[in-house]
Amino acid sequence: MKAAVYAVKPQSHWELWLSLDLQVDMLWWSGAGGGLTRWNSRVADQLVLLSPSIPLGWAVQLRENWRPAAAMDSWDALAWQDYAKAALRAELRQEQVTGGRNDWLQIQEIQCYGRRGSGWLPAQGEMKVWRGAELDRVWLADQDVRGQGRIGSGRPSAQAEMKRDWGACLVSADKPRLSPEELDRAARELAAALEGRSLLQPEAEALIAERLPGLAGRWQAAAQLAQLQGRLVLTAALDCAERAAPLRLPWRGARSRRALPRCRRCGSAATGAAACAACGLAGCAYCEACLALGRSRSCALLVRSAPRPAVRCAAGNGAAASAQRRWGLGAAQAEAAAAALELLAERRERSAHSRPERFLLWAVTGAGKTEITFPLLAAALAAGGRALVATPRRDVVLELAPRIARAFPAAKLAVLYGGSPGRWDRADITLATTHQLLRFHQGFDLVIIDEMDAFPFHGDPMLAYAAEQACKPGGTFIYLSATPPRELQRQVAAGRLRHAKVPVRFHGHPLPLPRRLRAEPVQRVLKQGRLPKGLIQELRCSLDRNAQIFLFVSRIVHIEPLLALLRRQLSGTAIEGTSSKDPLRTEKVAAFRERQITMLVTTTILERGVTVPRSDVFILDADSSLFDEAALVQMAGRAGRSKEDPAGRVFLVSPDWNRAQRRAVSQIRSMNKVAGKQGYLIKEERR
Amino acid sequence: MKISGSHWLKLAKNLLAPVFSPCLFCGKAHMPSTKMPGLCTMCEAALPWIGIPRCRKCGRPVGCPDCSRSHEHGLLRYNRSAVSYSADMREVLGRYKYRGNERLGHVLGQMLDQAYAALQEVSIRNGDSTPGPPFARPILPFFPRPRAALWQADVLVPVPVSSTRLAERGFNQAEQLAAVLAGRRRIPLLPLLVRTQHTAKQSFKSRAERFADMKHAFAASTDPVLQGHFAALLQTSRDYGRPLRVVIVDDIYTTGSTLRACAGALVRQPGATLKDEVEICSITWARS
Repeated sequence: MKAAVYAVKPQSHWELWLSLDLQVDMLWWSGAGGGLTRWNSRVADQLVLLSPSIPLGWAVQLRENWRPAAAMDSWDALAWQDYAKAALRAELRQEQVTGGRNDWLQIQEIQCYGRRGSGWLPAQGEMKVWRGAELDRVWLADQDVRGQGRIGSGRPSAQAEMKRDWGACLVSADKPRLSPEELDRAARELAAALEGRSLLQPEAEALIAERLPGLAGRWQAAAQLAQLQGRLVLTAALDCAERAAPLRLPWRGARSRRALPRCRRCGSAATGAAACAACGLAGCAYCEACLALGRSRSCALLVRSAPRPAVRCAAGNGAAASAQRRWGLGAAQAEAAAAALELLAERRERSAHSRPERFLLWAVTGAGKTEITFPLLAAALAAGGRALVATPRRDVVLELAPRIARAFPAAKLAVLYGGSPGRWDRADITLATTHQLLRFHQGFDLVIIDEMDAFPFHGDPMLAYAAEQACKPGGTFIYLSATPPRELQRQVAAGRLRHAKVPVRFHGHPLPLPRRLRAEPVQRVLKQGRLPKGLIQELRCSLDRNAQIFLFVSRIVHIEPLLALLRRQLSGTAIEGTSSKDPLRTEKVAAFRERQITMLVTTTILERGVTVPRSDVFILDADSSLFDEAALVQMAGRAGRSKEDPAGRVFLVSPDWNRAQRRAVSQIRSMNKVAGKQGYLIKEERR
Repeated sequence: MKISGSHWLKLAKNLLAPVFSPCLFCGKAHMPSTKMPGLCTMCEAALPWIGIPRCRKCGRPVGCPDCSRSHEHGLLRYNRSAVSYSADMREVLGRYKYRGNERLGHVLGQMLDQAYAALQEVSIRNGDSTPGPPFARPILPFFPRPRAALWQADVLVPVPVSSTRLAERGFNQAEQLAAVLAGRRRIPLLPLLVRTQHTAKQSFKSRAERFADMKHAFAASTDPVLQGHFAALLQTSRDYGRPLRVVIVDDIYTTGSTLRACAGALVRQPGATLKDEVEICSITWARS
């Protein structure tokens, strides 16, 4: 889209603003609405319209690079044009190279105004004389349209003239306009509805249509006023500011990437560029990383609410004990929750620009991570804050939603995932997939990222950026994981990341240690058409103890032939296979849970989230590069999760013993050791 | 830790292996296709091309009750489409048109070339190969002209989108596809039509509604420059004593209401009706 840009001198120095509705700005700076609360008290005397419509990206660029100077008081249109062209030099040159228009920023567009009373008078020429009374008349005349007005003489000409002059920016010119009071109320409502969000124009319009239907189609004026009042931030979706200095070097790799605009929403470099009919540029850049959530273009309007300070939770004395009582937590869980609560209650010494405080909750598989978050959510809500629970997977969101709703019946819960209903509702607790976080900006006091090491969050810097953006600068950021990535483990070891470990499962038994089983790789086994003897023996052993078996393989193509082989050699057992490509996956997993299927051959898709009471785990090709330490720990964590059968059996079946396996085993062993040392293990079970 | 020799071999192989850019359809770095730059071989092989259409009029891959029922021929002689509108293709078009992944535009434009080839084929078979401009004729009579040169369109006209939609989307998909084709086949591209009404999305309407809606949705452009170009083209074809071959380009043919309305608007040029002087066909990327 395009926007108007003007410079204004409210007090001692000049400011630059971009505008979606110039009338609002004229009214604001004229001081006409002075009696209202939060209305402008700083009246300006000079106003220079630099352009009634330039691409929004450029307008933002002008604003970001704004260098006010004392000499601006005496500048004429030519000087202003020179200033604007110099400020946008790189953009104008780029546009010329791409082959676009080269008649941007014409001198005819520049118009200097001086204030007379509460109206605006052009500095030169006889074109438009705007006196205060006339400006008022326009506003009042609009009230007249709605049947409340008082005067109307001379109205059509004034309005027609205005339309002609600022036709480009008066998007809602033919709709009844709002009076200053109404406008103020609309701006307040709009800012409240958009609190904590970061929305592109179509998303913002959808939100307005749903939550403020009265404002639909004419929200620009309200948004503009909210911007002037400091309630909203209007900006472009791409940040073009990071242009590197043009060096005469081979223009490749990281340097050329750094020169690309950045997406303000997802933080990626915007690699796409195309001619754009909305702003008229031949090379309007767009971000290709977050296309799935609406296109973020250099001329797309991004509406954000102004950040608000984070709330501070009440200090929790005896938090552990009360958490234990209220939420039925175990000793280890309560201890970890108390450590996190302490962080929440801490007064932040850092400045507002620093990153939110981070905390790692390292809880072993089956420790009851979700329950640990309940006291934290409760604390954030009690302090009047907003909390977010985000997880990379949609099925986890759907699974968590009823549990959180049950735990917090009074709180308003929003459940967000691709295509979910109720996207625009305001909520106390938001439960979302990590992709949805792109639509928030500094909106939450407490952000909890569950399963942060799972695909696609792990290894996607865009989602990490989005998650960090969603948290208020003074807020708290809690990672929840059984298998934190190496980087975080290193930070924990170095003492740079505060953390709490929950080294024991809720039932107080140690985690089953994986055992090694040397066998041929699956590829060769399939070729030979015979399962290794050791594997068959252990499988039989598991079947004899009436356990259900997870058989993990590294590749989908192995599932079918392996199924045939298993069915032949272990006849009489209900064996099924499933993968991400299986349409019947949910049904099969359900059947496995209900013990109708005894053995399930699968890939890493079932490595987390599935709890089957009495189960053993076999990981074939455990030395595959597709199974990293985290995957192995997670898969091993499927065994022994119930109180009745806490000691499941886990086998790593492979010819080689590689680093990932070693690390996985040592991680499990060290967790058991910590648990033993801290006395969380049930005494008689201690080994 | 024991690292087998094959591990090092794998690393060395990775160093030497070519780096494929990701396929625009599936996003995976598979072997790139040579026929369709931008796609991988697997996606290219899976494209649902309309090889030989069942309906000879509208180019539908299955029998077409609409064309056999209504014997009215209208202004649109033929339509040919490149692919049938399968679920995969719907997803691709959605990513291009609604999500705005404009990189796909080039691939879809290349695919449109197949539809153009099919249109040439049917025009030649129906004996429309009246002589073109003299320089297109063979210099030596012994060398037969390549079949493709027998029939060439004179002008490509993209279906316009409304200004509201254009501002929202930022581009006209039909124009982008047509531009790729125009570049490949060296045919002039003139946006001769404008959309006068902003109609709601076609996807949610019945056949009858679509026809009623579309009737007056288009008009000929009044831009004097375009008019001048068009008049020159008309004059050239008059000189050869044959009608001007206009090909309307769109992304998808569902009921044909859009294309037919466009053809109607095209012959209603300001000043004159050109019913006998133009020959209108259409090509689309997909046929549902």
